[in-house]
Amino acid sequence: MRLTFDAADEAFRADLRAFLDEHCPPEARRGKDFVAADEEGVPDWARAWQATLFDHGWMVPSFPPELGGRNCTPLQTLLYLEELAAQGVVRSVHFGGYAIVGPSLLEFGNEAQRALAAPSIRGDIVWCVGMSEPDAGSDLANLSTRAVADGETFVVNGQKVWTSYAPFADKCFCYVRTGTDPEAPKHKGISVLIIDMDTPGIEVRPLRHITGAVEFAEVFFSDVVVPADRLVGELDNGWRITMGSLAHERGGLWVEGVAGSQRALDGLVALARRKGLDADPTVRRQLAAAYEKVASLRALGYKGFASFAQGSSAPEHSYMKLATSELRKELFDLGLDLLGPYGSVTAPELAEEGGRWWNGFFISLAATIGGGTSEIQRNTVATRVLGLPRG
Amino acid sequence: MDFTLTDEQQMVRDTARALLQKECPPALVRAHADDPAAAAPLWGHLREWVVLGDGPTTDLALFAEECGAVVAPGPYFATAALFLPVLRAAGLTEEADAVAAGEATGTVALAGADGRWCTDPVTADPVRTFVPEADGVDRVALVLPGPELLVVDRAQLDITPVATLDTSRRVATLPVPPGARGVSLPAEALAAAIERATVVLAAELVGTARWLVEASVAYGRERIQFDRPIGSFQAVQHQLVDMALDLERATAAVYYAAMALDAGDPDRHRAAAVAKAAAGTAARHAAKSGMQIHAGIGYTWEHDLHLYLRRAYASDDLLGDVTFHHDRLADLLLG
Repeated sequence: MRLTFDAADEAFRADLRAFLDEHCPPEARRGKDFVAADEEGVPDWARAWQATLFDHGWMVPSFPPELGGRNCTPLQTLLYLEELAAQGVVRSVHFGGYAIVGPSLLEFGNEAQRALAAPSIRGDIVWCVGMSEPDAGSDLANLSTRAVADGETFVVNGQKVWTSYAPFADKCFCYVRTGTDPEAPKHKGISVLIIDMDTPGIEVRPLRHITGAVEFAEVFFSDVVVPADRLVGELDNGWRITMGSLAHERGGLWVEGVAGSQRALDGLVALARRKGLDADPTVRRQLAAAYEKVASLRALGYKGFASFAQGSSAPEHSYMKLATSELRKELFDLGLDLLGPYGSVTAPELAEEGGRWWNGFFISLAATIGGGTSEIQRNTVATRVLGLPRG
Repeated sequence: MDFTLTDEQQMVRDTARALLQKECPPALVRAHADDPAAAAPLWGHLREWVVLGDGPTTDLALFAEECGAVVAPGPYFATAALFLPVLRAAGLTEEADAVAAGEATGTVALAGADGRWCTDPVTADPVRTFVPEADGVDRVALVLPGPELLVVDRAQLDITPVATLDTSRRVATLPVPPGARGVSLPAEALAAAIERATVVLAAELVGTARWLVEASVAYGRERIQFDRPIGSFQAVQHQLVDMALDLERATAAVYYAAMALDAGDPDRHRAAAVAKAAAGTAARHAAKSGMQIHAGIGYTWEHDLHLYLRRAYASDDLLGDVTFHHDRLADLLLG
């Protein structure tokens, strides 16, 4: 066990800092708490920034240069994610392409599909990922959007919901049911299709968040005809692709969760000082308890990384999404508390820090739902990490 | 930071685990509760490991974690984590060398009437409380205002054992002899020694919490009700996950603090407070939820669970409980 990094890793970090100083636009320097891609689509600065990252090998640094990286080590990926989080820099305003679709195409796609990976990671192609449906939320394998094969094409009918970026995506990485055996287990008979979003028969109805922002949508498919060569991987065997997110960065997925908690905590400390609450014994203990959680979870992330880097699984990381998303909810809730009667004020001229606290609180409510609810996270840890029997 | 254990650290952990599992069975812990002399054979095995008190905090913490996992009784913690480092802090090399060689046991008396282990300033109270193992060790190091250190034979003090929840760690109260003076003890070195002992105690607590979590998970797997293991019920699973999460983050916080102390990192003071608070939280949580999951059988005297529950709560109190360390953290964060 040791605290410090080797010279080569420190040099890597220094290179990254120099790159960010030179190239990072001010719009990309913001805490993720505030980021929501707007209804109009991907802003010009975000497009240019993602391409610049890619072209300099800083988009997914563990990838080779032709995929926007520099073949860095797992520890360097961790340093990279940490530095971005510390500076509040976002890589992209839409994670579907570089984090999910690009890596999945590289692993499961045919040659033509693999050629889409680079422009997907560069952000030239904007993707949405069609997973959740009205009756397939936590129970994703229950999805019922159906694709019927007739040799040359698939014909797709059904509905997706909570589909991030659908209002402005070029393509959809869409999970559909192709299996016809009603007796088969639910997760068999699922396939993945690449569907162009301008195909006739697709209707996108944007959904407004409780924050007011529009980021995701309902997507309706009515007799949408998709060429057969858009099937990714094997027919009826698409379930395993759901696990195909950015494996290279899996050891560092916790970094943003901890960084977001740290930003909220720093904000709380500053808020307590401004409001003269930093001498209040109750508030002092609340802030200290919050600090204890943030600091211990950061240590847990690193501890898990040590297991991950050795090639073994990292049970520690199974806890991180659950713990950091629940913690952020507590922290923003505390922020509203510290504001007293002004906690609920949204009027722009009166809301503290431009509405940071109520807005962050609303966003934190989504973090314990999206990407696997806290209940599903606990179920998963219970069975896969603690080895308890399935219910 | 890198949490990968070195070969040597792995060896310390493996050796400690094997030794303590073998030499400190629950029967010994129970016998010690009735007669402290029952822990003497265990000390015979642990004395050669006191030397870890002179080495990196990480290694001593790894050893202590295994002590906590068997709720080891006896003078090991007091001697290796408190007495030896405080002797070193005072420059009492000759005596420290003998202690490191396992030739004598000792403890430190610092907390005054309020029971708080405060090093700045050292209390002028005429009494010392919560002195670990004071009625069994060879020597007692009295920390006096100044600070100064007076090391005396146990027999020279009027020691009163104080019963606590925890029958696996003995504590005592003793009066400071009137007019007592000792050798000069640099304040910074004293504070560092106590901070280090705090992190080592946090490691012990993590070991205690680990047993509670593992025992509860095992019970969840084997206890059948309504024709299935109770660990298949979500209400039980989620309690176990939350216990395990608090344990995991406390474990990481303890090893981070140990590394920060060893490196002299500026973050070490906050890290130590985080470690003890997180470990106390984890152990208390695991004790309460562990009791709920074991239910009736856990509430019996025969079951070992209460030995761990007792140790968890008493060790949280020793060297500052969760609230004490939150207050300390608040001072460090907010001034």
